Amino acid sequence: MGVDATSEIVELRGVEVVVRGVREGARPILQSVDFRVAQGESVGVVGGSGSGKSTLLRLIAGVVSQGLHLQGGSVSVFGKSILESSAQEREEMYGKSLALVAQSLGESMTPHLTVLSHFRDTVGSGVANEEVLRSLAEAGLAGEKYLQRYPHQLSGGERQRVLLALALIRSPRLLLLDEPTSALDVSIADEVLKTIKDLQTRHRFALVCVSHDLGVVSQIADRLVVMAHGQIVESGKTAQVLQRPGNGYTQRLVESIPKLDRRVRQAQNNRVETVLESRELTIFRGESTRAIDSLSFEIRKGEVVGIIGESGSGKSSLLSAICGLVPIESGDLRFRRDQDLATTLKRRSPDLLSSIQMVFQNPDDSLNPKCSVARSLGRYTNASREEMVSVLSSVGLDERFLSRQPSQMSGGEKQRVALARALLASPDLLLLDEITSALDVTVQAAVMKTLSNLQRDLGVAMILVSHDIALIASFVDKILVLRNGQLVEQGTSAEIVESPRHEYTRKLVSIARQKSVA
Amino acid sequence: MLGNPLASLRSQRIKPLVLFTIVFHVFVALLAPLLPLASTDAQDSGSLLQGPSLEHWLGTDSLGRDVFSRLLHGGRPSLLIAVIATLISALTGIVIGSLSALAGGWLDDALSRLIDFMLALPTLILLLLISSFFGQDPVILSLALGLMYLAPIARVARSTTQTLLARDFVRVARLQGAGNLAILGGEVLPNVWRVVFTEVTMQFTWILLAFSSLSFLGLGASPPTPEWGLMIAESRSYMTLNPILVIAPILMLASLVLAIQALVDHE
Amino acid sequence: MKNLARRIFFALVTFVALAVVSFIGVDALPGDGCTALLGRFGSAEKVAECRRANELDKPVLARMGDWSLALIKGDLGYSIKRDLPVADVIVPRLRNTAVMAVVAALIAFPASILVGLRLGRFPQSRLGRVTNQFSVIAMTLPEFVIATVLWLVLSIWIPIFPGVNVVPSNATILELLPNVWLPALTLAAVIFAHSMRTMRASVMNVKGMPFVESARLRGTKEKITVRRHIVPAAMPPVLNVIAIDGSWLLTGTFVTEAVFNYQGLGRLAIDAISDRDTALILPIILFGLAVYLIASLLADALVKIFDPRQRNAE
Repeated sequence: MGVDATSEIVELRGVEVVVRGVREGARPILQSVDFRVAQGESVGVVGGSGSGKSTLLRLIAGVVSQGLHLQGGSVSVFGKSILESSAQEREEMYGKSLALVAQSLGESMTPHLTVLSHFRDTVGSGVANEEVLRSLAEAGLAGEKYLQRYPHQLSGGERQRVLLALALIRSPRLLLLDEPTSALDVSIADEVLKTIKDLQTRHRFALVCVSHDLGVVSQIADRLVVMAHGQIVESGKTAQVLQRPGNGYTQRLVESIPKLDRRVRQAQNNRVETVLESRELTIFRGESTRAIDSLSFEIRKGEVVGIIGESGSGKSSLLSAICGLVPIESGDLRFRRDQDLATTLKRRSPDLLSSIQMVFQNPDDSLNPKCSVARSLGRYTNASREEMVSVLSSVGLDERFLSRQPSQMSGGEKQRVALARALLASPDLLLLDEITSALDVTVQAAVMKTLSNLQRDLGVAMILVSHDIALIASFVDKILVLRNGQLVEQGTSAEIVESPRHEYTRKLVSIARQKSVA
Repeated sequence: MLGNPLASLRSQRIKPLVLFTIVFHVFVALLAPLLPLASTDAQDSGSLLQGPSLEHWLGTDSLGRDVFSRLLHGGRPSLLIAVIATLISALTGIVIGSLSALAGGWLDDALSRLIDFMLALPTLILLLLISSFFGQDPVILSLALGLMYLAPIARVARSTTQTLLARDFVRVARLQGAGNLAILGGEVLPNVWRVVFTEVTMQFTWILLAFSSLSFLGLGASPPTPEWGLMIAESRSYMTLNPILVIAPILMLASLVLAIQALVDHE
Repeated sequence: MKNLARRIFFALVTFVALAVVSFIGVDALPGDGCTALLGRFGSAEKVAECRRANELDKPVLARMGDWSLALIKGDLGYSIKRDLPVADVIVPRLRNTAVMAVVAALIAFPASILVGLRLGRFPQSRLGRVTNQFSVIAMTLPEFVIATVLWLVLSIWIPIFPGVNVVPSNATILELLPNVWLPALTLAAVIFAHSMRTMRASVMNVKGMPFVESARLRGTKEKITVRRHIVPAAMPPVLNVIAIDGSWLLTGTFVTEAVFNYQGLGRLAIDAISDRDTALILPIILFGLAVYLIASLLADALVKIFDPRQRNAE
């Protein structure tokens, strides 16, 4: 490699990590990994779940997760073999030489301590408030009000910024980030990424950022490393990897990034019949909070409507109300013109119930862990084996899956089964709540493809909820943008993508464009 | 429904010693009356408080009864009562807990409060009262024990059901037209059972020990029934003369409850 | 604060409801003070006369009213059988149980937290595993077994402590003290095992949480990580156990006191039950209820100190 050897601060050679106690021949977590980071360099590590990317990052910090075992190779950080260093040496190193910010699921701050206490514990009780304030301000949190707050009083983005400030307050030369934005809303994530980039240009620390999202890392990394099944499959300058991926997996990964694109499909003239109509619809969350505030829209037969919204936008409440899981506060919600949906489940006729089906977000929650696929599919639909096999094949699974248990399936497979179960009820309206957001990018692309085929073949009306405008823009006819329960904007896919009118929509579109160009 | 906990036990790699101990106790409890043992009540006034001999393998107690025979019979009363009481508490507890969560509304409020009340009751003193005033009747005692210990199970079943009801696969079942009973049988119970199983096993030991303690206080099994707690109580005065009288039933009781404990301990 | 007031209110409601149930329940038991005094074979006239004299012939609700009015004034009632005010019988016994409970708590709780923390941090150490195994045993075995074994070892084989208690219930604390040790050790073994195991499990759980590793990886000193990040987060479950075990020390010691013939409340309860002295039984039940309810309230309040989320939820 052309990098000057003396400027290297991280060097991993031939690293092999295996699961402890597993018989020989099992697949290792990391397999002959060579990895280097130079002074001041910014490296992005991308890969799906199980690719070993987080294990790699933690290894650089000298942490081998419980149950894992370093079988071979060497890990050297700042010229020292970090795994052999004593606890005291590490305590010296953390914070001063390197710092790691773990996944942003909101659990990385100590729940019973204030922000200020976090700083005092990290730097020493003598730390000046001014220094803390300066550090917080650099990370984008200005104001003394944050000092006395507890973690639960901060938003996800604010917590991530506090953790960044904590990691950087003692000016380490190496910052390790694990999925810095995965738990954040799109617009917040974008701002946090910008802050990280700013901080890096200002302080010139080396950065290793791990993410499942190529769009995220390519924004802040000079160099990309692509991992799959515990191996590094590709490495190179960010632009180069994105434009000319040399490896098959990287290629698929790049292709799977949703491209912001409007929907192109021939107009269909049979779409006059209204399936769902909402007038001034209001739904409460709890006693008095408006989850959805006087929302009006319409869905015609065979139409696909996308709803874009971040957390708290009310999108899930809307879907729950349509299928009768939560009651409607006021307004009018009609199905096929004549059926009032202002009733909850128990009052709905069996026919109405089966006409509206929903698939939920979390694949691990969508199937009863105690039931085989055949049982999950057939229990309430009374479908015959032939029907099950045919619907499974329409979602891209074969007959063998009938006897599988949920624990034997991947997330993508579980979501496909959940989709198949919804289809067995022959619905007129299919509600899909972020059904791909928990899946790997490549799997997500495949599920979207299946969805697209289904829509073409069955012509069922769908509502597709997502936080990612790029993911659905090319698939839906119409887009509603929701924010805090209010309809910000609605229009055809082309209108929203090409000429968004509202400022918020423009921001979302521009972030999506940035990522899909990357 | 019943296959699941057994499967989960199988996957937990039970230590052979634990399994052996439990199988041993079950065997002994079931077969003791059929084994060629000395009578548990026959008093040999010629040999009181004897040490181990060929005739009396573990010696004799203060009335000259055969300790070995009484020892093998001594688990039967507590095991029988524990099995019945645990069945009562587990079945009613699971039904009350999951129905309460499923029904919601005022019924749930009322049942939860009832469960709170029952948890606050001083269990042992009530048992002492019941046994003292109604005679040491095994039927009444197992009924009382079963009712007294159902609250913790009902509570676990209720909270587990509540968590389950919020899960997506249950909501989907509702969308597909499943009624409350179908949800209870198809989605809730198979998943509740697994969580409650640990609780039920622990309760089994508690009930067993509660009954033994009652016997020790003279209010559980009534003499001359051989029962470990009672045997310990009867022989404590002769502990210096013949420690086996106390140590043997302690070892039997300890090995049984420790083995059951090890069965559910996940470490 | 609203929440706390609500909880206190519910505790009071629970207490009153269960008190009513207990009164009626105890009343429904076959026998009362007069049959207890005169024995089962007392003649019908004598029993009736005794009942009239002690106003036991009033309807149950009226007696419950009288009784609760007296209770509010601090009068616990009168034991016909013992011919003494209930308070005079109960208070010295309560003192004895309290002395034993305090000794047991002082032996067990501080040690259990320290040992539990240590074992939670280093669960694989050999001493840790042995201690843990012993705790499982102490937790699983009934008190009468632990008590008997302790007696066998510490009083008969190695005569350190006196075995059976011969001190009267109204002895001074100094006279009482030598006899406290064996029962207190028995109780201490049980509650030590309980709270130590809880602390250990809680520390092991908290130790693996992301915020602990996160603190370490930004260079927080180990001592501070343990003291300020791990321990406060690990305390809530232990506080609950301490509260429940604490109330058990005052109200659940029948068996231990019976083994050592220790003249406490538990011993008294057993005597009262076998004497059918219902006037004593009811206050003892209510005392148990009250202690349990107060302990649960206390545990809730203590947990809030360690968890800002719950503090703010009010």
